[in-house]
Amino acid sequence: MRAPAPAWAAHLNDATLDAARAAIPQGLIDAFAHVGEIQLHVHRDHLIAALTALRDTPGLEYQQLMDIAGVDYPDRGAERFEVVYCLLSLTRNHRLHVHVTASEDTPVPSVTEMWPVAGWYEREVYDMYGVLFAGNRDLRRILTDYGFRGHPQRKDFPLSGYVEMRYSEEVKRVVYEPVKLAQDFRTFDFTSPWEGAEYVLPGDEKGALPEAKGAPTPLSADQVQKAGVAQSPTQAAGASSEPYAKDQASGTADTGAGKPHPHIGEKPADRDVIPGKGGQNQ
Amino acid sequence: MTDTVLNDRMDPATERLAEMGQGNRTEDEVAIQNYTINFGPQHPAAHGVLRLVMELDGEIVERIDPHVGLLHRGTEKLIEYKTYQQAIPYFDRLDYCSPMCMEHTFVLAIEKLLDLEVPLRAQYLRVFFAELTRIKNHMLNLGSHVMDVGAMTPNLWLFELREDCMNFYERASGARMHANYFRVGGVHQDVPLKLLTDIADWLDNRLPVLFEDAISLVADNRIFKQRNVDIGVVSRDDAIRWGFSGPMIRAAGIPWDLRKQQPYDVYAKMDFEVPVGTRGDCYDRFMVRVEEVRQSARIMKQCLAEMPEGPIASLDRKVVPPHRGEMKQSMEALIHHFKLFTEGFHVPAGEVYVATESPKGEFGVYLVSDGSNKPYRCKIRPTAFSHLQAMDFMSRGHMLADTTAILGAMDIVFGECDR
Amino acid sequence: MTMHSGPVELPRDARAISSGTGLVQPDPGFFHDLNGELTDKGFLVTSTEELFQWARTGSLWWMTFGLACCAVEMIHVNMPRYDLERFGAAPRASPRQSDVMIVAGTLCNKMAPALRRVYDQMSEPKYVISMGSCANGGGYYHYSYSVVRGCDRVVPVDIYVPGCPPTAEALLYGIMQLQRKIRRSGSIER
Repeated sequence: MRAPAPAWAAHLNDATLDAARAAIPQGLIDAFAHVGEIQLHVHRDHLIAALTALRDTPGLEYQQLMDIAGVDYPDRGAERFEVVYCLLSLTRNHRLHVHVTASEDTPVPSVTEMWPVAGWYEREVYDMYGVLFAGNRDLRRILTDYGFRGHPQRKDFPLSGYVEMRYSEEVKRVVYEPVKLAQDFRTFDFTSPWEGAEYVLPGDEKGALPEAKGAPTPLSADQVQKAGVAQSPTQAAGASSEPYAKDQASGTADTGAGKPHPHIGEKPADRDVIPGKGGQNQ
Repeated sequence: MTDTVLNDRMDPATERLAEMGQGNRTEDEVAIQNYTINFGPQHPAAHGVLRLVMELDGEIVERIDPHVGLLHRGTEKLIEYKTYQQAIPYFDRLDYCSPMCMEHTFVLAIEKLLDLEVPLRAQYLRVFFAELTRIKNHMLNLGSHVMDVGAMTPNLWLFELREDCMNFYERASGARMHANYFRVGGVHQDVPLKLLTDIADWLDNRLPVLFEDAISLVADNRIFKQRNVDIGVVSRDDAIRWGFSGPMIRAAGIPWDLRKQQPYDVYAKMDFEVPVGTRGDCYDRFMVRVEEVRQSARIMKQCLAEMPEGPIASLDRKVVPPHRGEMKQSMEALIHHFKLFTEGFHVPAGEVYVATESPKGEFGVYLVSDGSNKPYRCKIRPTAFSHLQAMDFMSRGHMLADTTAILGAMDIVFGECDR
Repeated sequence: MTMHSGPVELPRDARAISSGTGLVQPDPGFFHDLNGELTDKGFLVTSTEELFQWARTGSLWWMTFGLACCAVEMIHVNMPRYDLERFGAAPRASPRQSDVMIVAGTLCNKMAPALRRVYDQMSEPKYVISMGSCANGGGYYHYSYSVVRGCDRVVPVDIYVPGCPPTAEALLYGIMQLQRKIRRSGSIER
């Protein structure tokens, strides 16, 4: 991996995957490493057993629960929510995440008995997504307003919500009203007309190769990373030390572009500064 | 009083009990009821907009229920509607006492998904400013901690240093607080040499003098120790179970520092020490932060000594926009610039959890990308959530006045806690 | 109206109102006359209106309503480098004793009732400074589901200070603008 991300013991990934497969008694749906991070997909009913195994088995020892994140995938049908437990092992210096799925009315077992810190994280997931946690004795809303309706992080919840607040002189208190925006939030559709075509054209097979970083690519981050490892370890793909290097053959004489600008030779030390006497962009 | 504005009466059940007790009370039998008070949401010692519903027995705290979310701004939802570049300033505004450290986590997470190489000078600059941010953050926290327990002067001196840090921020990025300086692939712009020499001068001459002066007023002060030693003691096991991180877990005696254990950028090359507490009380937390300031200064000096020349951002033009000079001469650069500032760059699909050592502890970003130019989900792991949640068991049995010391030693900032 | 002799600050804004330019040039003759009157008779004569305005602008005790990022700049303006107290503006933690509320930061729906409650508790005359983009109109968080789009939806605002966050100097200038506003529209019951 070339990115300067935090370097924990990712070389233990393979051994950890084997150990986790052996240790988790049942309910392990899938286990793989992706972008250098282990994901364990566990069935909801066996979550407690799996997490207990991860915490207590020698050789796994995930002592700390760092975070519980909810994610919403509306196109997955009823089981649209994913709850992600980010675990950290202090002794092995290793991280992994455990994923379970949930629907609106299938509660996920609470892990507050194992890690008391889970209390607020579960409350947050409940607040933001409406996922229920069976066994959390304090499942109140935590971040949103007292008496808030809806679960704001769901993908079908509008960004600006349904209500807004103002102080009413008539009733002498703050009141909620339906939201009215002076200007709507501006979103732009960036899908180009050349993308998303149904038919196959000659040359489309090149799309399977990883493009330069940052360009739209059908590949996942994991595939890009593996392709990067296969290439030279230090030089990024397509990034030469001199960007926009001039083509050797094409000087101004060849292209007919006329004589070079008389100041072009006086290049300043700072590459951001263009030579010249003022001007509004200088 | 401000701190009892919302709910300064006993709750109805307690009141009814009190009335029932009136009738059959004998002379030597005095009914003592727990008293529920409301600390905040507007209170000078609440460090922002915290609301604590406290149940008191006399002056002894029986139970604390922190209510957070009074600064819930919907940052995570807004990030899903912005491109990756547009989302970086939201991170400044999370923990507004240490803006650049927040950006650091986010750009590292995106770089991990992109598998993007970052030039060495950019890594040095990021570490350098992250440590400046740590000093800046600790100036605020140490100062307000001593102010919460009754001392005024050190705060004034430490804020003078903080003002210096803000000036350095301004000279590097143009903004006193919300720098928006880190970029995916590097930093926004190079710093002038004079700024580096000025900071070096400040590290040598000004920071040690003012800082050590201010700390010498309180570190051995009898009153300060009485207010902090053995207050809010947390054992190692509790620290692990409650998900502590940063100075909180180090004060509990666990030498766990992500800069050391899981180094990112050029922290692996830095030579610094990790201070560890012995008793796990508020005084230890304070002193751990004091030592961290000294170590941060040490890291900054190493950065200054070792920082190489070179590009300050990746040369990958699909992610990092070209220089203004290039744009005026190259059509391709102009196109890249236009694409990056309208559409932004695309991040390949994947899920990562990246955590760094922010001044307050482990600050993590769980980033889900679906291959588009906007994050599909960006879950922010606040440091304050686990710490503030432990407030209940940490202050149980302590006096009411100790809660401000415990709260001050936690270093809570609500922009980050509530998001 | 008489004032006893001693170290009394002179009602220096008397000229600012009369001239109307807003730019007060210290007039040595004016101060000399006043000083002579004070040493000669031992008291000064002025109108209650001017005296009240002078007192009001000279002791703007502000309610510390730090909500978010701007609160840090609000603290900085009190600290030795900017030293807001030289304008007589000192932080007060209690709404009952404060004259001006600086709403510093994003006002969220959950916090709005508390803000209004604190404002209602302040004694008249009271002023509000809205500090920063978020308090002015939602700013960077304008489209969020949980943010009040401007604190003027909840409390009446006298001065808006732009910026994200405004620098300490900007807030200082905002307070000076408030002083000007008080002088201009000064009346006993506001």
